[in-house]
Amino acid sequence: MNFFINETMHAQKSGIEHAELKRFKLFNEHGADCRIVIRNWDPELHENTRQAGIPDAQLISMFDYFQHAEQVKDRRITLADLDFGVANTTVKHEPGKNRVLVTAGGQLVARVNFWPDAQRVHSTELFDAFGNLYLVEQYDSRGFVSLQQWYTPDNQIGMETWLTPAGQPVLESYNRDDRQGKRQQAGWRLTERDGQVFQFATIEALTQHFLDDLNLDFWDLKRPNVFVLDRSHLVEWGITRLKRPAYTVLYLHNAHTANAQEPDDPLLNNNYEFALSDVDAFDAVVSATRKQAEAVAQRFHPRAAHFAIAVGVVPDQLLAAPRVTVARRQFGKIVAFARIAWEKHLDDLVRAVAIVHREIPQVTLDLYGYADPSDDYKARLQVEQVIQAEHLEKVVTLKGYTQDIDQIENSAMMFGVTSRMEGFNLAVMEAIAHGLIAFTYDVNYGPNEIVESGVNGQVVPYGDYRAMAEAMLKVLRDPALAQWYSAGAYESARRYSSAAVWAQWQALLADAQANWPAKLVAARFCKPEEG
Amino acid sequence: MNYFISENIFAYNSGTEHAQARRVRLLSRSTATDAVYVTRNYNRFLARDRKTVGLKSAQVLNMYDYFQGTTSVPRVEQKLRLLKQIPLAAYKIAGHGPNYSTLEENGLTLARIDVMPGTVGLIGSITYQDRFGNLTARENFDWRGFKSSVDYFHPDGQLARTMYLNLAGRPVLEMVCMNRGGQVAPTMWQLLGDHGHHYRFSTEDELFTFFLDELVKQDPQARLFSERRSLDAAVGAAAAAQKWAIFHDAHEVAGQLLAAYRPVLVEHPEQFTGVLVSTKAQQAALNQQFPRVRTAVVPDTVIFPDEATPPVARVPHWLVMVGRLAPEKGPDAALRIFTRVLAAVPDATLELRGYPISANYLNQLKTQAEHLGLAEAVTFSPYVTGPELAQSYRQAQVLIAPSQHEGFGIQLVEALSAGTPVIADDVDFGPREIVVPGVNGDLVQPGDESAAAAKVIKLLTDARLWHALHQGALDAAKQYFAAPVARQWQAFLAGPAGHSTH
Repeated sequence: MNFFINETMHAQKSGIEHAELKRFKLFNEHGADCRIVIRNWDPELHENTRQAGIPDAQLISMFDYFQHAEQVKDRRITLADLDFGVANTTVKHEPGKNRVLVTAGGQLVARVNFWPDAQRVHSTELFDAFGNLYLVEQYDSRGFVSLQQWYTPDNQIGMETWLTPAGQPVLESYNRDDRQGKRQQAGWRLTERDGQVFQFATIEALTQHFLDDLNLDFWDLKRPNVFVLDRSHLVEWGITRLKRPAYTVLYLHNAHTANAQEPDDPLLNNNYEFALSDVDAFDAVVSATRKQAEAVAQRFHPRAAHFAIAVGVVPDQLLAAPRVTVARRQFGKIVAFARIAWEKHLDDLVRAVAIVHREIPQVTLDLYGYADPSDDYKARLQVEQVIQAEHLEKVVTLKGYTQDIDQIENSAMMFGVTSRMEGFNLAVMEAIAHGLIAFTYDVNYGPNEIVESGVNGQVVPYGDYRAMAEAMLKVLRDPALAQWYSAGAYESARRYSSAAVWAQWQALLADAQANWPAKLVAARFCKPEEG
Repeated sequence: MNYFISENIFAYNSGTEHAQARRVRLLSRSTATDAVYVTRNYNRFLARDRKTVGLKSAQVLNMYDYFQGTTSVPRVEQKLRLLKQIPLAAYKIAGHGPNYSTLEENGLTLARIDVMPGTVGLIGSITYQDRFGNLTARENFDWRGFKSSVDYFHPDGQLARTMYLNLAGRPVLEMVCMNRGGQVAPTMWQLLGDHGHHYRFSTEDELFTFFLDELVKQDPQARLFSERRSLDAAVGAAAAAQKWAIFHDAHEVAGQLLAAYRPVLVEHPEQFTGVLVSTKAQQAALNQQFPRVRTAVVPDTVIFPDEATPPVARVPHWLVMVGRLAPEKGPDAALRIFTRVLAAVPDATLELRGYPISANYLNQLKTQAEHLGLAEAVTFSPYVTGPELAQSYRQAQVLIAPSQHEGFGIQLVEALSAGTPVIADDVDFGPREIVVPGVNGDLVQPGDESAAAAKVIKLLTDARLWHALHQGALDAAKQYFAAPVARQWQAFLAGPAGHSTH
């Protein structure tokens, strides 16, 4: 089985989740069974994963797994379904708060909180006859109590209990003080399906146990289980310490160094420092680009195999779509799809457009993406300051987030990337697949591989917005060149076709398979001659 | 069904529990009636303790067992090392002597496993700790070998919650401890209806009343008998056709009504059909003081002659006092009486047989014995039941009973049935009903230690007198034999109890 391990799957996804979902689709299309593995408890998980196209049967969340709740028939639990064990209760609605108060004889019995539909129960806060809040019950969106939070007399959570949909407690964590008096999650106790009781000091140790369970449940002498770690901090401890052999993959979704432009920067990206420092504990390390894969190989000389596998896949349908010539596009329309955030450095893109605008007044720039709220929306403010200084209010528009990519990219002309760092950049891949002429800083990793100078646009020196403006002007002045690049963009997108990316994965799966017999022999599951 | 209701059956029981147990045995033997010993308290040793009072599984019904669905589970001797829940491939069980082991991982202690008391290597409880060594949870096993409850603790180590489990390990009843009048104490019991309703209670007694109502629902003719004053409120609140309070002790001392008797006699006599006492004297006193309260006299205890143990040789000049070592039973007086006896009969010995109310009180008595120069002649013997207790009665020449008050005095009857004459203080209410002076023993004015000593000395030194009283004792005991007592109970159940429509 192929496992793709992540933290959770929110409605608003970052690049890592998008990459994982594309991979999920790719594996399914090629008949390679796979599971999305989720580590964190999330009562809305199944709503979001179903929305994202993951059927429950292909989803294993660690908490679901221990709660016997991987596949549960949805139940609609409303106020009428609740039983507080108290007779003659009165309900008072608090519409502004999306909750009701349940009382009996003038005494508060419970507060009931609802999901945004104001009908289904989200959680209940339960009070004893002496006015103590003693328990909060959190409901899974599928309609069962998933988590109980038991309170202390001083109104803190003393312990948490996770239940099966039938109400059986199976997992507990305890909040206790250390020697310095700091309250923290200080222990876990798990009752497995066979009744065995395990204890864990940390959620890392619990996760390790879970991975061992998965490896055992899907154990197959014919092929190894492949664990792809999409967020290394989640299970980097447990995944390298499995009881039985498997094939473990560290997937680098971002630059491996703190300074992405310096592949030999002594400081590693904090997210990968621990895993990369022990990289040979993995079977393989995967980068999203050839360039990064080579840099990793050069720097770490891993015994682990290293692969370059694109995180993005351009659907066959898009590759086969009718192409739009430059003449039918809005002349001078530049777009960017990116969060308005420090690392995206979009104020530089505005600076480039300002230069272009002096010669070509028809140029416009539309920025699509959420504004990052960090530092009081500092990144957005910086973009707005350049717009103001350059008097580009009619030229540059902050459009906000959109999903209407096809319509926008089929009518625009160019795409710009001025990021400080990248892990891949799915947006620029989608842009070339729509025939947009792409301009990017020489930024690691992704844009400087997806964009090919002289083929589908221009890679300009890192941080040089003047050079970017010059490259854009060159294209705007020369309609033939523009059409050449646009055609080149459509064509170069084939590097990310389903078949091309699947071939990259097949190389990894072949490596897993090739090493499997030896692993089985080493762990004494087979005799040497059988292997 | 006749439900005789008590708090518990203990490892060490008082006369009340013994009397109640014998009554249940007596009535559940006869075909006409049926009787069950009902207990309120959670007791995972109940299956062991009921045997010490001679009860069979079907003769005992505990509230927690009832809700847990574990009333008739046979015992399995569950070895802790064979407990399926312990993953032996992951953790090591490290032994530390006969009483406990620890569960260890990589040299760190995860949990402590206590052996079931009084067994070799059977599972008693597992106490879990976090990575800092804080107490987190404790699983408690029943004497019969199954996991019966789980205790959880607050971060400060106080009990936070107990979950009571059914045989499948599923919680069916929870008890929660939170703030209650400035203390962390139980604030809620909740029955977790598997498919039915939840029911919430603020006290264990509210839950107990609910439980009794459940019993009555299944048998509307059921009679409830409250054997303990601490339970009168809970029994009184239940909706049964008949509810009786059985008094095992004097309701007043020195003319003062004891507070524990107020609910039945003063506050809510209407909740009860009536009060059962074991002596006509107490009945007369009650009738005079509380004319609204209906009373009846029934025997408090019963002797099963077919269970008599083989006789043992009398030890000359051996005195015994049997009962809880508590001030109201007068063990200090016994020591002073014995001092006088010893002066006249130098080879006399005294055995004080029973469990002390506290280690402190036992030490106090031992110190007293030493000061009186009795250390060599006095034996403090532990609480025993059955044949061992019978031997104490049978080897003694005299039983002394210097109690300050007695509702009846089960030890007096047991002594008589062993043929041992009794010298008792003439306190309310039992002794003068049981002891006939000059026939099976003698009575002295309450607190008259010199008279008691004189009568003991006379008995020890006058063989003819002793033999006469010995025979008198054996004869007197016959009225407490199973057959006549059963007849009296059946007459009561057919009469006052049978016709009551309270």
